[in-house]
Amino acid sequence: MKFKSSWLVMLFTLMLFTLAACGGGSSSTPESTPEESESNNGGEEAAPAQGGEISIPIVADPIFNPWHPNAYVESNIVNRIIFSGLTKPGKDTVPSPSLATEWSASEDGLVWTFKLRDDVKWHDGEDFTADDVAFTFNGLVLDESKGANSAANFQAVKEVKKVDDYTVEFHMNRPWSALPAYLGFNAEIVPQHILEGTDVWNNTEFNKETPIGTGPFKVVNNTPGQSVELEANEEFFLGRPNLDKVTYKILADVNTHIAQAMTGELDIFSLEDTSSLERLESVNTLKIEPRDVTRYYWLGVNQNDERFQDAKFRQAIMHAINRPAIIDNILKGYATVADAAISPNLEKYYTNDVTQYDYDPEQAKALLEEIGYTMNSEGVMEKDGETLSFEFDVAIQGDLVTIAQLIQQDLKAVGMDVELVTMDWNSMIQKDVVERNYDMMMNWWTYPDDPDVYAQYHSSNADTGNNIPNYKDEEMDRLLELGRQTTDPDERAEVYKELQAYMSEELPYQYLWYPQETIVMNAKLNNVPDLNYGASLHYVNEWTLDQ
Amino acid sequence: MASFIAQRLWQSIILVFIVSIITFFLINLAPGGPSSMMRMDATAEERAAIAEQLGLDEPVIVRYGEWLASAVQGDLGTSLSTGQPVIERIAERFPHTLQLTILTLIVSVFVGLVLGIIAAMRRNRISDYAINFLAVIGLSVPSFWLAIMLLLLFSVTLQWLPSSGVAPEGSGIWEQVTFLLMPVLILSTSTLPTIVRFMRSSMLEVISQNYVRTARAKGVKEMVVIYWHAMRNALIPVVSIIGVLIPRLLGGAVIVESVFGWPGMGRLIVEAANARDYTLVMGVTIVVTLVVVLTNFLVDIIYSKIDPRVKNY
Repeated sequence: MKFKSSWLVMLFTLMLFTLAACGGGSSSTPESTPEESESNNGGEEAAPAQGGEISIPIVADPIFNPWHPNAYVESNIVNRIIFSGLTKPGKDTVPSPSLATEWSASEDGLVWTFKLRDDVKWHDGEDFTADDVAFTFNGLVLDESKGANSAANFQAVKEVKKVDDYTVEFHMNRPWSALPAYLGFNAEIVPQHILEGTDVWNNTEFNKETPIGTGPFKVVNNTPGQSVELEANEEFFLGRPNLDKVTYKILADVNTHIAQAMTGELDIFSLEDTSSLERLESVNTLKIEPRDVTRYYWLGVNQNDERFQDAKFRQAIMHAINRPAIIDNILKGYATVADAAISPNLEKYYTNDVTQYDYDPEQAKALLEEIGYTMNSEGVMEKDGETLSFEFDVAIQGDLVTIAQLIQQDLKAVGMDVELVTMDWNSMIQKDVVERNYDMMMNWWTYPDDPDVYAQYHSSNADTGNNIPNYKDEEMDRLLELGRQTTDPDERAEVYKELQAYMSEELPYQYLWYPQETIVMNAKLNNVPDLNYGASLHYVNEWTLDQ
Repeated sequence: MASFIAQRLWQSIILVFIVSIITFFLINLAPGGPSSMMRMDATAEERAAIAEQLGLDEPVIVRYGEWLASAVQGDLGTSLSTGQPVIERIAERFPHTLQLTILTLIVSVFVGLVLGIIAAMRRNRISDYAINFLAVIGLSVPSFWLAIMLLLLFSVTLQWLPSSGVAPEGSGIWEQVTFLLMPVLILSTSTLPTIVRFMRSSMLEVISQNYVRTARAKGVKEMVVIYWHAMRNALIPVVSIIGVLIPRLLGGAVIVESVFGWPGMGRLIVEAANARDYTLVMGVTIVVTLVVVLTNFLVDIIYSKIDPRVKNY
């Protein structure tokens, strides 16, 4: 017995020691939900509710520099509230002023002039000026050796010139109507006085600890692997934000996001996997809102493969796939069938006056027969003694693999012998995007609220750029170039409507659906504008939390 | 003893060296590159610029040589994805994994020994069957599924325990326990059943020995026979498997940390592998290898001390 008790004491001591090793040891603090710990000083009907704290999930540690080569996805939604861009996505899908108050293009479209606000301060109290804009672009974005995130979006920009402290000029290589929209799309301005002369990508004090921005919230605490805490910027140029605090919680597993939303530990996020939707809808402390987003999902067949070069083949694919079934069963109705690249939320430019493809397997077979295929005894299409067999690559991401399996079944049903190849994201990019070593693949494009899709369709971007199907077509190039050069919005809309009609006929990509984002929100969270999740974060200063 | 330690030290160095070669070449053979080069919308020029900045335009063998030369001087390089020193990124996470695994080991050993002894002493009775059944269940049920179920039960439905993360700095012991309870419980399922089964069979073997029979014949109390005479000898093989369980614990930590948002090494290596952050993968692998080698080394020494029949030197 003596042995037993001393052994127990030893174990207990070791346990206490281990516990104490990772914490203080002061008095216990009771658990509290964000709602319980809010300050309670708002609630008048006229003025927006003041105060409150919200929590937002991200899947990995962010990098506090919007241009850092590794700053994307999780970093974007954090940087959006620390920094500001010259513009931001408008509530009416037209670029809205942010650090810039107004802008105009020269007659020839080769010079854009932006007037800047003169009342903006960085989080450290320094004045924001045109020097910061010039530094951000000339020093980081346009320096090709740096490989800045999103730099590819600004290939049309030659250089940025400071005119005076509050005016800058963007000098262009070619006319580009979409510049204001792209300046509000992960293109925030960073401080020259902090970053100039430093090794910017390895400046860990700025990128990982205490970034200095002009945005509505500033970082007060970053605990790697756990959370980033931000507090309201009292000096924010649009006035102090309504909320006191925003905490980004680093939660790698989406199941944890769902559990924490149900327990009130998270206040807002975009639901990637809709399989938990019904469970979340049953929680009365949450509200679920569908939001339009400028995005479309697509299949791409490699145009360097002769088998896929006839538009009728691509049309056969469109008729073969039961897209409404995918939308109803997998996406729970949060999407609409897509037939071109301009999503319906861009109302000024979108048109449904395009070639539409119903689910019609017989029509798909007929189209294949028109281009010389015949069905063999095994139910596979054949041409010149060769069966129609090809691989279908898909990255393991959200619902994609499940949907790819349905697409594979649909294509098999019309005689296409499709083998599904699943891989991680990184492998997919290397194989399909970098090496262009694929037959068919599936992915999506997201772009700013502007119809300029030049990067994904122009023949100059085939084989090495973002024209992943390697589609080359003179008429397509002509329309894309015309769209970029046209400055009058009404004329531009006509160009893009013509482009959509052409796309839907030619099918450089095989369009699947325009998604709607599913935003899961604390029912007490209000004044989140009716925009997609990412864009609504540009208005975080307006969000309120009912007490 | 000194020659034994020297021999083991030499073997350990060789082992770490081999692990470093295999890991470096495997991660570099994986398709793709650091995530900064792998954005959907990055141009070929951007990818090339980033590869050059990160020194990835050198042949793999040259890069390994450079990495090794720095590593032997204690410099594990800079993380490709954040630019921070790898040591710094590991130091942020290591204490959390250490806390989780040490507690799990203590719980597993303590509970495992007790259950193993009960199962042995009540051999072929209901409690023996129940313990064995639970051990099999613990080994067979996927831990990620069990983790999500516990999360739904204790955090969502009952709201007794926090669903993720670690206790805020300065929390009291009780609050820390609430954060640790589920992760430790789930991680225990990878080690506890093994300890229970080992202890049971070891105990059964010991209590059939002559000296136990003699002790009973001399009228020594049953509790003293079991917990003093028999258990000491039954523990010997159990100590030997603790070394084997350490890698299993660290492997299990990957899943547990992901589900419970525990900011440890398990999650770090997953993030690093997904981002093809070669230097960080190497750093984490080397640190984990050193931990495994060191614990096995200690287990061997303890084993030779508690079992006079084992002579390592």
